[in-house]
Amino acid sequence: MTPILVALSIGIPWLGALVVWLIGDQHERWQHWLAIVFSAAAGVVAILLIPGASSDTALLIPIGGIFGDFAFVADGMGIFLSIIATVIGCLAIVFSMSYMKGEAQLGRYYAFVLFFIGAMVGLVLTSNLLLVFVFWEITALCSYALIAFHNDDPKAVRGGIKALIITSIGGVGLLVGALLVYALTGTTDMQTFLSAAGSLPKNLLAVLAFGFLAAAAAKSAQFPFQTWLPDAMEAPSPISALIHAATMVNAGVYLLARFYPAFKDVPYWREAVMVVGVLSALLAAVMALTSYDLKRVLAYSTVSQLGYMVYAIGTGHVFFSQFHLFSHSIFKALLFLGAGAVIHSVGTRDMREMGGVGKKLPIVKWVFIIGALALSGIPILNGFWSKELILEGGLKGGPVWLYIVMLIVAGLTALYTARCVWLVFFGEPRSEYHAHPAGIPMLVALVPLAAAALVNWLGVGRFSLLMGEKTLPFHAIEAFGLKDMLHEVLSIPTLIALVVIGLGILLWFLRDKLEGVTNGLRSIRWAAEKSFGFEAINSAVVSVTHSIAEAVRRTQTGLLGWNVVGIVLTVIVLFAILILGA
Amino acid sequence: MDPMIYFYILVGLPLVASPIVYLTGRLSIRRGGVLGISLARALTIFFLLVEMGLLALVLQSAIQTGSVYMAVGEVTLLFDGIGFLMAAVVLVLGLMVALFSVPYMTDERNEEKFFALLLITIGSIIGLVMSFDLFNLWVWFEVMAISTYFLVAFYNEQSASLEAGVKYLVQSAVGSALVLFGIAILFAQTGTTDMQSIWMLTPETGKLSALGGMLLIVGFGVKTAIVPLHTWLPDAHSQAPSGISAMLSGIVIEAGMVAMLRSLSLMGKITVPWGAVLLGFGCLNILVGNLMALRQKQVKRLLAYSSVAQVGYMLLGFGFSLQFSLMDGASGGFFHLITHAMMKGLAFLAAGALLYALYLSKGEHSPLMIDDLNGASRKYPLVAFALSAAVLGLGGLPPFAGFMSKWQILAAGVETQNTLMIIIVIFAGLNSVLSLAYYAPIVNHMYRREVSSAVEAGNRIPWLMVVPLVIFTLAIVIVGVWPSSMIFITQNAGYSLLYTFFN
Repeated sequence: MTPILVALSIGIPWLGALVVWLIGDQHERWQHWLAIVFSAAAGVVAILLIPGASSDTALLIPIGGIFGDFAFVADGMGIFLSIIATVIGCLAIVFSMSYMKGEAQLGRYYAFVLFFIGAMVGLVLTSNLLLVFVFWEITALCSYALIAFHNDDPKAVRGGIKALIITSIGGVGLLVGALLVYALTGTTDMQTFLSAAGSLPKNLLAVLAFGFLAAAAAKSAQFPFQTWLPDAMEAPSPISALIHAATMVNAGVYLLARFYPAFKDVPYWREAVMVVGVLSALLAAVMALTSYDLKRVLAYSTVSQLGYMVYAIGTGHVFFSQFHLFSHSIFKALLFLGAGAVIHSVGTRDMREMGGVGKKLPIVKWVFIIGALALSGIPILNGFWSKELILEGGLKGGPVWLYIVMLIVAGLTALYTARCVWLVFFGEPRSEYHAHPAGIPMLVALVPLAAAALVNWLGVGRFSLLMGEKTLPFHAIEAFGLKDMLHEVLSIPTLIALVVIGLGILLWFLRDKLEGVTNGLRSIRWAAEKSFGFEAINSAVVSVTHSIAEAVRRTQTGLLGWNVVGIVLTVIVLFAILILGA
Repeated sequence: MDPMIYFYILVGLPLVASPIVYLTGRLSIRRGGVLGISLARALTIFFLLVEMGLLALVLQSAIQTGSVYMAVGEVTLLFDGIGFLMAAVVLVLGLMVALFSVPYMTDERNEEKFFALLLITIGSIIGLVMSFDLFNLWVWFEVMAISTYFLVAFYNEQSASLEAGVKYLVQSAVGSALVLFGIAILFAQTGTTDMQSIWMLTPETGKLSALGGMLLIVGFGVKTAIVPLHTWLPDAHSQAPSGISAMLSGIVIEAGMVAMLRSLSLMGKITVPWGAVLLGFGCLNILVGNLMALRQKQVKRLLAYSSVAQVGYMLLGFGFSLQFSLMDGASGGFFHLITHAMMKGLAFLAAGALLYALYLSKGEHSPLMIDDLNGASRKYPLVAFALSAAVLGLGGLPPFAGFMSKWQILAAGVETQNTLMIIIVIFAGLNSVLSLAYYAPIVNHMYRREVSSAVEAGNRIPWLMVVPLVIFTLAIVIVGVWPSSMIFITQNAGYSLLYTFFN
């Protein structure tokens, strides 16, 4: 049964992509409904995988030679992420029915979304490193195509190509790592690698570990590769929700979590992971605080929360990072879709032109607030439980000063979230906008996510069993039920954290009284608006490359005489090398 | 039937068919009407199909009897793995180009010469890859070069085409002269031009022979477009008729590379790091090709520089294999040869289809600019999709074939477990990412909603031009998801290379 389900979970979305594309853009209604049906079917199939979860190879397609066997394993981590990809994918597509109504080239849109969903499922279910890289690059392709969906908008195209290039640069780390595994173990099979990791030469294992870290950091928009995610917000909001919040950006965290047992003993690797996570969390939180673009705030927030997950892996608590991934996928998708509803209705992304939207879109306001509470870490929402667990884990598994920084970031998170909610939904409208109510498909997508944000943490025990030793033999994740969670969380550090979070929210409401302080921090605001120099680095790299290319152009003189000189010079140089070499 | 007969016909048929096709085509000129030229086109396609059948028969007898060869006096032609691979690629690509060129070259001046020249090119490449005698290799090489001179400068009323043709001719001639010097040196040293004999007779410290080998690398290297000998390529590949651009990028420069590899394999015993030389040129090609392509605004010129970069990847694969005796490197290099022929062939044919629709069918000889592609997907969806698939495949993105071949080459590099090689692998990987910076915008331009004025006024694309595009698109997706479909061919070719080089 499991082999068929695995094949279907990738095959159904891909078949759907083909069908929606071939149906043609003149049958818009068919395209919407077919996309929904195919993604829903994929979601059902993914959920059906749960009972059969195990660490055995579920599906094997022998290919041979250097390409190995295309093998798939339906274990806990894979099934969990497949469910997220397909279910949230389905909700994003339902949302798109209203958001993308009447758009041109819808076939291309849905085809890429479905292609992406299938690729994401494939990425987490495969146990062949070559296939991990293949699916990794396919998700990058889909992400680029969807960010740059509106090809006529140069900002969108630039954002898409930027995302493609930056994530692919990190991807080279994954490529070299996967090839090293092949070179050292003779196969690209992940299970073989995980069991043999201890006996591999230490220096090459370190190259592998840091290569994978680079790939993960680029994919999850972590320091120092975080610049592509905010620019990816040119994508339609359902895409931001699905790809850039709930699924693709998790691929980096998945990579680190999957290979943690192999790398945990590499010197300085865990420290590097922690630092990457903390820096991302901190820098992004500050940038979220200074941005006025609603989607950019959420993008920075995503970078920040992913930083928490990465930090958790660094401290050795892979389960807590996956649990936060679970919470974050739900509440961040909720926030992005809610933001999408607002933007679609009001017609702008600039929060300075909003205000009082809650009066026109009450349901959206309430679900957004639920998402915001989850993001800030307010009990009893899912974000509270998972964030506290990470902080507890950080206290036990990492240096105290990093823990303190993460605590402060929790406060900053609450601050920028309160700011965001207030600026958009409350107060008086600051511009003449015309808000039309949110469509039914949008609400159908939003409400289940809000409900999930309220209750999904109740399943923590089941979740830990899914990821337990039966399916993930190398990770040693112990059973962790509700009682254990309550025991962990109801403690002094949590109280301190709650105080910090409360302080964050309070700071927003006291902002008028604190004007002196905010003026004093003007330089930090300036640095944050300039993204702490990272945009400058990006632009510098691009312009240097182009300048070098222009310089190289001069060698193509177009004059035959010089061309022949080139040939003669080559002979002379090779001759010289030959003589000197001898 | 004696299997050797099939081999004789395989090698000789295109050269016999070419004048027949030419004369048949002339009938239209002399008598008027389209019968002659239509017959010429049909004959071309017929002969190519016959060649493919012959190739299959030769392969079958090679598998059964072990060796297929042809000896004319002292000159031997041998059918080995490399020969089969190149013959298969040139015939498939040639057939697709012939089909594509039927509507493309309709009503052009000198049309009747086009198909004849195409057949000679294909025939000479088949002969080239089968020859195991240095001088014979040079003769086939020259025949290929001469036929391509005319094809590059085909639009002999356009000054740009003439310029491209002249530069190509002169530089190619310089290369050929160097090759002759190299052959002369080797002949002087060993007294024979038979490759296998030269291998055995060359001592380990043959200084002069090494010089001869180096001259052969540079001489054949001009045709292979290794940097800095590549300067003729952007002009030639962009000015030639699009089907010929596909042939040039897809198989002619690779034929030069095979000639170079065959001559290198004579030097196997000499203690000169030939593999390292290939690696050095490979890295240079990849970097220069990518940087130059980044600045191009003409589609065909961009694709031409892309070929320079892709040849670099093949050189890396062969360099790894010759320096470290790795099968994967040679197999990967040949796999990349196949996938590149498919993808670059598809790219040039798709760009050619658009060039035809937007300019050529109206009699204009303007180049196809990237901005002309705006909104092309709205009017020409299939062609736009084909070009997108080709271009993204060339950038190394799955699920297209280019990814799998690059994977194999880079795997070979990492297999060496040598730090410098791994740095080269990282360099190649990063360059692959860089190449996306010029491939991806092409796709973006085509899928805009706002249509360029050229597309707005463009004519329809004949269905016969679209058929090869569809075939190639399917092929690159199938090979991309089923890479081992080509393993039989590439392993044999890799084995042949290593066998001739090392023993």
